[in-house]
Amino acid sequence: MSRDEIIATTKRFLSEEFEVDENEILADNNLHETLDLDSLDYVDLVVVIEENLGFKPTADDFKAIDTFDDFYDLAERKFAETA
Amino acid sequence: MLINKENIQTYIPQRAPFVMIDALINASETNFESQFEIQADNLFIEDGILSESALVENVAQTCAAGFGYVGSQKGEEAGKLGFIGAVSKLKVEGLPKTGEQLSTKIEILNTFDAIHLIEGTVFSNEKKLMTCQMKIVVA
Repeated sequence: MSRDEIIATTKRFLSEEFEVDENEILADNNLHETLDLDSLDYVDLVVVIEENLGFKPTADDFKAIDTFDDFYDLAERKFAETA
Repeated sequence: MLINKENIQTYIPQRAPFVMIDALINASETNFESQFEIQADNLFIEDGILSESALVENVAQTCAAGFGYVGSQKGEEAGKLGFIGAVSKLKVEGLPKTGEQLSTKIEILNTFDAIHLIEGTVFSNEKKLMTCQMKIVVA
């Protein structure tokens, strides 16, 4: 999956799951604040990521993520590891 | 049977009269199964019918026993505290009466850190009574 495909797919499933306008899912925006995540929401986030992108982020992965761009970097690395 | 009625309170934090499972039948990394016979003096009985709240608690306690048992097999402390973080997709199809024996099956759908997303289904005589998803936080 290319980075553009990762971005498009991510915007779609995150906006559906967390009821956020796709226009708010911008590369430099903070992922946690934009999605208004509390600690229990992370298991939902893991489920939709696994369903839509095919990998399961860890707690350490999320600690290293601030922006959506950070998440797209992570997704690219995960795809590269499994390629 | 993995844990009988005499030992179940070793593996769950709840105490009588709030114990809503009798025995743990099966437990693996992904599935648990418990049994519970409904007594006439159960806290959640009204006019001989067990309430929905008791079924939800039965699911949660099945998880507590399952996580407690699986953890104990790895040398962890049994009877750890756990919390219901959220209940969703709750569907009640029937309520059991005094004397019925419940069979509750749990599937762990996903785990993130100490938060487990599970799906629980409660049966009586193979008839599905209730299903729900639950976020369980194990302390």
